[in-house]
Formats: sequence, structure tokens, C-alpha cells
Amino acid sequence: MLGPGRQERSWIRGAQGGSASDLEALFKEHWPRAHRAAYLVVQDGAAAEDIAQEAFLSAIRNLDRFDRRRPFGPWLHRIVVNRAIDWARARSLRREISEAPASEDFDTGDLGTFSDGVAAGLASLGPEQRAVIVLRYLLEYTTAEISELLDLPRGTVNSRLRRGLDRLETILDREQR
Amino acid sequence: MSEDLRRALQRIQGPDELEAERRAWAMVRSSYVERESLSWQQRNRRPLLLVAAVLAVLLFALFSSPGRALVGSVHDAVTSDEPTAPPKPVLTALPARGQLLVNSSTGPWIVQVDGSMRKLGPWWEGSWSPNAEHVAVTRAHRLAALAPNGRTKWSLARNRILRGARWSLEPPAQCCRIAYLNGRELRVVAGDGTGDGPLRNVVGTTPPAWRPGSIRQLAFSTVDGRIELVDADSTKTIWRTNPGDVPFQLAWSEDGERLLALGERTLRAFDSNGRKLWSIGLPVGSSGVVFARKSHRFVLIRYSPATSRSDLVLYQAEADPGEARFLYSAPGAFGSLAISPNGNWLLVGWVDANQWLFLRLTAAKVESVSNIVQQFGGKSSAPLASSFPKSVSWCCPASP
Repeated sequence: MLGPGRQERSWIRGAQGGSASDLEALFKEHWPRAHRAAYLVVQDGAAAEDIAQEAFLSAIRNLDRFDRRRPFGPWLHRIVVNRAIDWARARSLRREISEAPASEDFDTGDLGTFSDGVAAGLASLGPEQRAVIVLRYLLEYTTAEISELLDLPRGTVNSRLRRGLDRLETILDREQR
Repeated sequence: MSEDLRRALQRIQGPDELEAERRAWAMVRSSYVERESLSWQQRNRRPLLLVAAVLAVLLFALFSSPGRALVGSVHDAVTSDEPTAPPKPVLTALPARGQLLVNSSTGPWIVQVDGSMRKLGPWWEGSWSPNAEHVAVTRAHRLAALAPNGRTKWSLARNRILRGARWSLEPPAQCCRIAYLNGRELRVVAGDGTGDGPLRNVVGTTPPAWRPGSIRQLAFSTVDGRIELVDADSTKTIWRTNPGDVPFQLAWSEDGERLLALGERTLRAFDSNGRKLWSIGLPVGSSGVVFARKSHRFVLIRYSPATSRSDLVLYQAEADPGEARFLYSAPGAFGSLAISPNGNWLLVGWVDANQWLFLRLTAAKVESVSNIVQQFGGKSSAPLASSFPKSVSWCCPASP
């Protein structure tokens, strides 16, 4: 991951200095992907909102200690994705105990069968596999960066990615037949 | 496949995405505005004032005798030229009776006086019931009451992320209630898991704090940093303060006569009627307060950006905070505080050294234990700031 762009550094510097408009620019730049990443991992709208919001509040609390030379996104995504994995794991446990109803469906609108298939495929994966796929293909991190963000060996990231993609392909093939 | 997958993921939308963004921005902005309520001059002047204050306190401590029972001895111990004992690699015993409830990165643990430890299962955080008979734990959407052996007494699930569960401090015969946060909603449930219901719809993220000595009064923070005391039975507001720095910790004195609200930039002290006694500005990074037993004096962690050191200082929650009295200082960050049940020992989490310090407050003695992260199941490769235990309570203070 490259260092932050000049614009982002400027927003962070402004926010550290008290500029709400710079903070808003930073928020608007990062919220959509943080929220969507959380949603794709947990598959629950309310939980995704809570998780992404808490990550930003944590950023505000630590704003003065933030090193402007480092990119903001990975720091935020580390919190979001790890929280999302924990939440999704806990829900799996709860479901085993209480047989709660299945999670809400993804909203793909009229975006075509491939997105529908990807949504359905993601729902069939475990949260750890969903997380690496989201980090790789939505947030576009390398496997080395994912390994650092999730505190996992690179081999584990690669195998989760491979297995997750294989499973997605199988589901998509089945749907296209 | 890769490019198609990337595009497909970017097309999938969460429900209510724009509204979620609007709600989140309102919350983030509110938090930011509170943080910025102190002026630039105040923020930049504070490090110098802090250095001056620490120097003044050092001079005061050198040339004055009052307060030595609590302060002087610790000060003598840690500023002595004699080398302190090397840290113990393993926690083999607590220096005083009682049990610890430790909220580590791997979940809550109970530590007995002989050093034996038990992890309470896959929970995110926990807090003691009165007399440590139970532990209230939360994880994601679930709240549960556990026996100290980890057995679940009951549990419930709600629609938002649950956190900040706190037992009321009523004696066990009348036991008990648990206040907790369901997202931004403040709720209360009976100690046996019955009668769960909302108390306030939208509150701040601060864990609520039951007032000691009262069987139903609960303090919490609003989103604009007001502190409100509510009667949990009638749901009526007893008092409410003016807006201020949104606190991340509320702490009552043991007699329920004083309340501290610790925010990112200010520490406010209130009396039992909600009147503000005083407010002091803080440098960024101060991270905890704990009242001394049977006293209105309290210890504050104060981080100095100018020196990258953390200090433990003693103030009083009276009409005037009094002279700050210096207890201990070390490079890096301190993370948690807990006072032993007999009031003689102060546990301090020294995050950057991966150590716990036990400061004896009535004699010149400091003990330390290293490898804290590893002893509570954390990975030694993870950053200390995220893997070091977040809070500790020493059986049975009001809140961790």
C-alpha cells in the first residue's frame, strides 16, 4: 500500500487542527468502503453500521496521535474487518445455540445475476474467508498487506483466499447452468 | 473472475446505505466537536503548563510532609537511586487479597490471589457483580451472567452491539440489576435476566455507572457530554449537567458523593447533586482514573506528549482539586488502574513495557510483572496498544 496522497494528508492535518470540513472530507472518502466492507463480512445492516461507526469514533479519539505519513485507510480497515469477523463468528455461535433466523439478504438491486451470485456465494462462506475476499477485491490490498492487517501468516491468507474463490466459482457456475 | 468479482462487490449495497452514512456522520461530527471544544491555545499551552505543574509538584513533594502516608512513600520508592527489583516473568500471586477481573484482548479472565487464572469463554468484556458472585459479560449482540467458574446463568440477545454492562451495587440479598448499552440505547435488566427494558433511547458510548449507596441511581453520559443521573425504577432524571467533553469513563467515589467524568480533553468532578466542583484540562492521552478507597482522593493517569511519559498524579474531588501530587512516572503509556480491596495497592498497566506495576501506597514498594499480554493469551507479535489488557478491576470496585 502506497503512502497517503497529498489530499488525504491535508485532510488529516486539517482535522487535527480543528477543521470539521476536513474531517468531513476524510469521512466521506472512507465511510462508503468501510461500511460496505463491514456489511459484506457480517451481512447485517445494523451491525455493519455500528462497526464502521465505532471505527470512525475510535479514529477521532486518536486523531492527535495519528502519524500523517501513514495512510488512514489500512488503519481504519484493520479495525473494521477484525471487528466484523468477531461479530460474525459470535453470531454463528448464537445461531447454533438459538437457531435464530438467517441473516438479511444482500441488496443487489437490479444489478444482474453475477452480483446476485456473488452475494449468495459470499453468504455461504465463513467470515474469515469473506474477510480476505473483501480485503483483496473490494479494498484491493495485497495478500502481504492482508496478512499484516489480520495478523495472520501469508500462507493462511492465501489458502483462505483460494478456498473462498473456489467456492464462489462453484456456486456461480452452478447458477449459470 | 478477479475483475468481475471486484466490480460485483462494489455493486452490492448495504440496506439504507445513505441513511447509515448520515447517521454515522452526525455521531462522528458530534464527537469531533466535543473534542475540539478546547481552544487551540489551551491545547498547545498545556504541555508547558504540565511540565511546570509537575516541577511544582515535585518541589512541593520534596519540601512538604502532609500526605506522606499515601504519596510520599511511593514517591520515595520510585525516585530512589537504589535499583528496583527486576520484573517477575509470571504473575504468581497478587500482593493483596481479592480477585482480578481482567478484560484482555482475548476476552475476560479471572485471576485468583494465588495467581491462578481462568478465561471466561469467548466474550469481549466483563464486569463484577457485588462481592464477585457473578460476572456480566458481553459479546456482539449477547449479554450473559456467568458464575465465576464460567458457567452461564442466563443470557439474552439484542439487535445492536452490547457493551458497558455494569451490575448495580445493591447488597446480594436485594440483588441486583445490570445496566448496559445496546448500541446507543441504555437498558436495564434484573440480575436474574428478567424484566429487561430500555431506560434511555440515545446515550453516549460511556459505560454507565451505578451510584454506590443508592439502590437504583444510575449515571450515564448523553451524546453531547451531559452527565445524567436517573432513577432506574421511575426512569425520572434526578439531575443533569451541562454539556461537556464526552467522557469515556465515569467513576464514583466509594461513598457515592463524588462523580468523575474523564474525557479526552477534560476531567470534570461533580458532587452528589450534580454540581460541578471543577474541571481541569488534560493533555491528549490521559487514560484512566480510580478513586482511593473510602476517600475523595483519586489517581489520574496523565500522559505528557512533550516528554512521551505517563505520570500517575493524585488529586481530590473536593471544591478544589488541590495540588497535583506526583506518584509515579514512566516512559510510554499507562493503560489501566485498579485499587486493591484493602486500599493499600494500586495496580497500573504499563502498556509500552508489557508490564503490570503494583505500587504499595502505604510503604516504599513497587513490584512488577512482565509478559502481561502473553499471560492473557495475547500474541506477542501484535502491537501492545491493541493486545494489552484494556481494563482491570480488583474485586469489587464500582466499575472496571
